[in-house]
Amino acid sequence: MSTTRLQEVLICFGKQKQTDISTANTGAGMWRFGKLNAALANPKLNTENDAEEYGKGHEFPTQSFQTSWDVTGTLEKYLGAEIAAWAMAFGLGKVVKSGATPNFTYTCTPLMPASGDAAELPYFSFVEQIRPGAGVVLDRMAVGCVVEGWTIAIGSGPGRTNSKITIEFAGSGKVTEPSGIVMPAATAEKLLPSASLALSIDGVDYVSNKNIVSLETGWKNNVRMDGGFYPGSGFQTAGDATSGAIRGRLEFGNRQGTLHFTARFESGSTELTKLKNQTTGTAVISLTYDANNSLEITWHKVSFATAEVGETDGIVTVAVECLPMFDAANGIVSAVAKCGVDNICQ
Amino acid sequence: MSERNTVWLRPPWGEGEPKEFDARPDVLVPAMVAGWSQCAPPEPEVKEHVHD
Repeated sequence: MSTTRLQEVLICFGKQKQTDISTANTGAGMWRFGKLNAALANPKLNTENDAEEYGKGHEFPTQSFQTSWDVTGTLEKYLGAEIAAWAMAFGLGKVVKSGATPNFTYTCTPLMPASGDAAELPYFSFVEQIRPGAGVVLDRMAVGCVVEGWTIAIGSGPGRTNSKITIEFAGSGKVTEPSGIVMPAATAEKLLPSASLALSIDGVDYVSNKNIVSLETGWKNNVRMDGGFYPGSGFQTAGDATSGAIRGRLEFGNRQGTLHFTARFESGSTELTKLKNQTTGTAVISLTYDANNSLEITWHKVSFATAEVGETDGIVTVAVECLPMFDAANGIVSAVAKCGVDNICQ
Repeated sequence: MSERNTVWLRPPWGEGEPKEFDARPDVLVPAMVAGWSQCAPPEPEVKEHVHD
């Protein structure tokens, strides 16, 4: 009997957005990537029983019921131009595409319901397969997923691991088995390495002064998971009330942006002064493969929430936690992602 | 001279006519935050050829 090893797992997901939460991507609208983490996006069936009900004559359960479905997952990847564009577009939710082959530009901002935008994030389908076909081990598709959040971590050092992205996603609960998807060819990725970083925070160029040690920035949608179960939200099997409820919408909750960094601290370093004065400014983080493949994230107004002097490998450093704030004209954050792939989140 | 890189956006709440914007972040981001969303370019106006 052959052992199934996790290196065999193949994943693909919607490059284009679904037309609605329940209509799955087709294979033509999906793309395939490798990933770094072993965890699978396991659909979870929640059950209840009748133990607490009166009238049975005892306290023990006599029946169990399928009540609802959850799907959550995490993608860890070396940061590349293509996955960066996808994460920004699906994670922030609003995207304007411009340009043409080989330089598509995706300008992404968070959705603003106060300005007429939806509170529902763009949906995609997520497929996991291990030996699909006659000897299938796993072949399933989670339909109606949204990006819960992303985190980009940039570190010091020569390897690819110093530029990574982690994407969390959550699904409506709808799962199709078998997926019916023919796994597309692997996507050629243009990596955005740590050594390509350009970084300006509150008027300081941390790359030209050679002081940046590490940086982490992220976005969290805090999706209202329980709000997806409303009266009439539907079932895993349409029309079958015993198959467990699924969500009919996934809306973001109170969203949060994060930015913290560690830099060498020396005479003239301004972090502590800026903390005391609560100085505000922009933070611009850029990573580049070439002229056609890059990512630029701008936090339009940040102040320093904390700044603590410590050490990194024996060098005096300052660890700064920024507070991203809403700028009246430009909002909280925008991302400009360039890559050679068309139709991301379209 | 390079061709102007533009996109079409529709106004907030879908009210009003689409407008053409330069595809530059400093132009697009404030508009997107204000509620403008990308849309297809408007169909070119078809003029009937009238014979005298």
